[in-house]
Amino acid sequence: MDIDIRHIAKLSRLKISDDEFAKFENEMKGIVDMVNTLPQLGEDLAIDENNVMQLRKDIAETGKFTRDELFQNAPQVKAGCLVVPKTVE
Amino acid sequence: MNDEYEVVIGLETHAELSTESKIYCSCKNKFGIEVNTEVCPICMALPGTLPTLNERVVDYAIKMGHALNCKINRVCKQDRKNYFYPDLPKAYQISQSDIPLCENGYVDILVNGESKRIGITRIHIEEDAGKLLHATSFEGSSLVDLNRCGVPLIEIVSEPDMRSSAEAKAYLETLKSILSYLDICDCKMQEGSIRCDVNVSVHKKGTPFGTRTEMKNVNSFSAAVRGIEYEQKRQIAALEAGETVVQETRRWDDAQGVSVSMRTKEDAHDYRYFPEPDLLTISVDEKRVEELKAQIPELPTQKILRYVQKLGLPQQDATIIAENVDLANFFDECTQKGGASPKLAANWLLGDISKYLNETGKTLGETKLTPEKMTELIGYIEKNTISTASGKKIFEIIVVEDKPIKQLIDDMGLAQVSDTLELEALADKVLAENEPSVTSYKNGKTNALGYLVGQCMKASKGKANPGMMKEIILKKLGE
Amino acid sequence: MEFYEMTAVQLSRKLESKEISSCELTQAVIDRIKSVDDKVKAYLTVNAEEALEQAKAVDNKRISGEKLPKLAGIPIGIKDNISTKGIKTTCASKMLEDYVPPFDATVIEKIKANDMVLLGKLNMDEFAMGSSTENSYFNVTHNPFDLDKVPGGSSGGSAAAVSAREAIVALGSDTGGSIRQPSANCGVVGLKPTYGSVSRYGLVAFASSLDQIGPIGKSVKDVAMVQDIICGRDKMDATSAIREYTGIADSLTGDVSGVKIGIPKEYFGEAIDDDVKTAVMNAVHELEKAGAKVCEISLPSAKYALPAYYIISSAEASSNLARFDGVRYGYRAKDYTDLVDMYEKTRSEGFGSEVKRRIMLGTFVLSSGYYDAYYKQAKLMQRKIAGEYKAAFNEVDVIATPTAPFTACKIGQNIDDPLKMYACDICTVTVNIAGLPAVSLPCGMDRSNMPVGLQLIGDSFCEDKILGAAYAYEKLVGGFAAPAL
Repeated sequence: MDIDIRHIAKLSRLKISDDEFAKFENEMKGIVDMVNTLPQLGEDLAIDENNVMQLRKDIAETGKFTRDELFQNAPQVKAGCLVVPKTVE
Repeated sequence: MNDEYEVVIGLETHAELSTESKIYCSCKNKFGIEVNTEVCPICMALPGTLPTLNERVVDYAIKMGHALNCKINRVCKQDRKNYFYPDLPKAYQISQSDIPLCENGYVDILVNGESKRIGITRIHIEEDAGKLLHATSFEGSSLVDLNRCGVPLIEIVSEPDMRSSAEAKAYLETLKSILSYLDICDCKMQEGSIRCDVNVSVHKKGTPFGTRTEMKNVNSFSAAVRGIEYEQKRQIAALEAGETVVQETRRWDDAQGVSVSMRTKEDAHDYRYFPEPDLLTISVDEKRVEELKAQIPELPTQKILRYVQKLGLPQQDATIIAENVDLANFFDECTQKGGASPKLAANWLLGDISKYLNETGKTLGETKLTPEKMTELIGYIEKNTISTASGKKIFEIIVVEDKPIKQLIDDMGLAQVSDTLELEALADKVLAENEPSVTSYKNGKTNALGYLVGQCMKASKGKANPGMMKEIILKKLGE
Repeated sequence: MEFYEMTAVQLSRKLESKEISSCELTQAVIDRIKSVDDKVKAYLTVNAEEALEQAKAVDNKRISGEKLPKLAGIPIGIKDNISTKGIKTTCASKMLEDYVPPFDATVIEKIKANDMVLLGKLNMDEFAMGSSTENSYFNVTHNPFDLDKVPGGSSGGSAAAVSAREAIVALGSDTGGSIRQPSANCGVVGLKPTYGSVSRYGLVAFASSLDQIGPIGKSVKDVAMVQDIICGRDKMDATSAIREYTGIADSLTGDVSGVKIGIPKEYFGEAIDDDVKTAVMNAVHELEKAGAKVCEISLPSAKYALPAYYIISSAEASSNLARFDGVRYGYRAKDYTDLVDMYEKTRSEGFGSEVKRRIMLGTFVLSSGYYDAYYKQAKLMQRKIAGEYKAAFNEVDVIATPTAPFTACKIGQNIDDPLKMYACDICTVTVNIAGLPAVSLPCGMDRSNMPVGLQLIGDSFCEDKILGAAYAYEKLVGGFAAPAL
């Protein structure tokens, strides 16, 4: 089974350095071989009708947390907002 | 446009639902508040937090499904759509992939007086993302406001059934008026409560459909029209030049009036959908689905037909009233409960009432006007108790003040005199005082009639019923 | 006997009769941590000051005559992936090295409502991925029975802390065996409850459909008492079961007569160490002598549980761990050129190798063109396995297997071989795949004098049956051995 490590890393937003690439690729191949032992059981994965959830009533509850509390772990905050490198719209 | 070609349009419309709380947490669903103040651990995706689905979102989506004649999948599920972006805290959007809540419906739209049926592929529920703020002063940064994260959305996907920008516009207008009829969306375009992505392709008539492009960032219905027209021209020009149309996502730049290819964001298209493991199966019982169906009011297209066919309104008037849920409800109350003349009620709504609303920027609900009052006022005019001109004077008062009309008529002395004997006495007096005019009328100068009636009105201080007055004068002049 | 050596059951009585105070007890456990944790390294954060304050408050309540819950005043250690308001919750990752949650997990609210004393946060494999606690970003935890060996994982800190008597009881989390396997390795009792019985709200997600918080203790009854207070429907967790729970601890009688125990032959194959098989079968025979009925059963798809588990858990993990992007909390790389570069550097520097492998595997099995072959097939297999268990529970009350194929490994022995590490989970993952409850309890020692774990698996919400059988065994053997430290 071929796994395109660079593509998967890109999708995962991970960088695999050139030094660790070979080792990583080798490990991933081993793991993929292991999961490949799973037999193919069929096509149709029906929805589980017995595993139903209860829905939440539409009631707003507000003011439990302040912005400062919520952003206390944020790497960078400015003007009450989180700061990220410029995104191009 | 080159007549050999036909344009094919499909729309994906996102509507924000006007619930109290967000879709997966209890934060208030509110627009226009200070940045990052309607945020909680759940909608900012702190580690360990979990979503709980808002019941009303399911109800609202089912209502829209009924209104668009869809099959309701009362047993369905939610899926994760995975992609990284700073406005998406979990780095996945909870949405629905293979089993939407509603599918296979249709909606009838009216274009140039003709009805056309547009297929609805599906309606699914999902969460909105936050907002990114850009400014040159941010120096290479963007700021993230998470207030909008978790605002409930329905995405309505149409079949590629539209063949002109006019049809697309009519479709969007129809969806908008249905959303307001159901009272499930604020429909404030400027606040982004309705947004759409536009799929456009062109092909020579009689040949298979062409390659389509998807246009994003379409923020108003008129922008949709401009975008479609631009894209259709661009594609035809490409084909005529012997080029091919590339299947891609383009961004509509309304200011420049052009669509620009969004450099295929690397890997952006592998969303790796899989069933949301934090939520179990959604199962709405059949009874509830039926209850929601029973709550669907008469919708605009049906109303237009009724107004035209049963009430005899012109199509244009019927359309304007029916597409505005406030006007339509007001009109129905006046004509159904109150029994007001449809013609008069429509004239008032499209005339003085609309004028007042336009001038003041108010909605009907923000005025003191009620259907009961309006019906009463129309009644007085119909029964000739007051003149149309007096009616307008009273309207100007009751639109801003809650005052009884009867009393206004009395206080302002607007009641018309319709008593024949009284009017005859008045006529005799005026004719006696204006011998010369009577003579000139009898000599064939018929315009003297107007003068005489005017003198009567003047003598009555405007209270005489002008129609009756005229008839009496005519009768007396003929004697 | 020192206070810290006693069980929660014993301490509960002593606290209630005011023979000891919670302050004395808490101080004794903190002193124990000070004296042995240099060797064991089970704790990432010791919450000494606040714990003593809490103990004082509980003592005051008791003095004022207030009727207190059974576990009031008893110190508990918490795995570091369970959110604790105001106390760092790191998941043993560089990514969350300084992360302090502004809210308590639902289980922590319950622990606090029951006046238990929160001692501190326990080491684990990073984001609960691993079977040895060697994947912690901070340090390796040592097995109290042999400091050169691993405690198992991922709840290695929780199991080692209870085993080393550095906590009376502890909470762990179990996605593929992460409570049971370290409990087996460290000679303590660990319960993985039925999926949906304990709220996951506030548990930093690894694999949402498999994760479950559960208790670890020195005795079966201790574990039952903690389970009794942490279980229950939670509106904040849509996957939490809608049902009522009756107390298990008080229902334990020690009577095992007539209980039907199934032995699935698939769990006693070549991969299982002979000493482990012998110890497990000896324990089964003890129960049989006490009146249990033992029969062989078959769970033919059990061998496919491991690949199904790695597909499902990694797929969910790849999505659950995508939120660690350096924007709202956690580590952010120092130098980057643009947004994507910031994401990639942050995640590559913030996550350890095992986490990256699982994210990669999960991304791969969900990626375009592979979903049907992997994720869908794994979910189908999950249903098949669950069906086989359902059928088995028509015949038996409890299924007995080894908890792990072998006892604790040497530190460093498997660290470079992910597949060997994954093999530690072959006996435990099926239970998570099927959503069932299972308990691991000590059943003797192997030739190197390391504890062996017996796993008892029950039908959904039948924690009472497996804990009942476990309690009977504990009574029959007169309790479980403590390590010499």
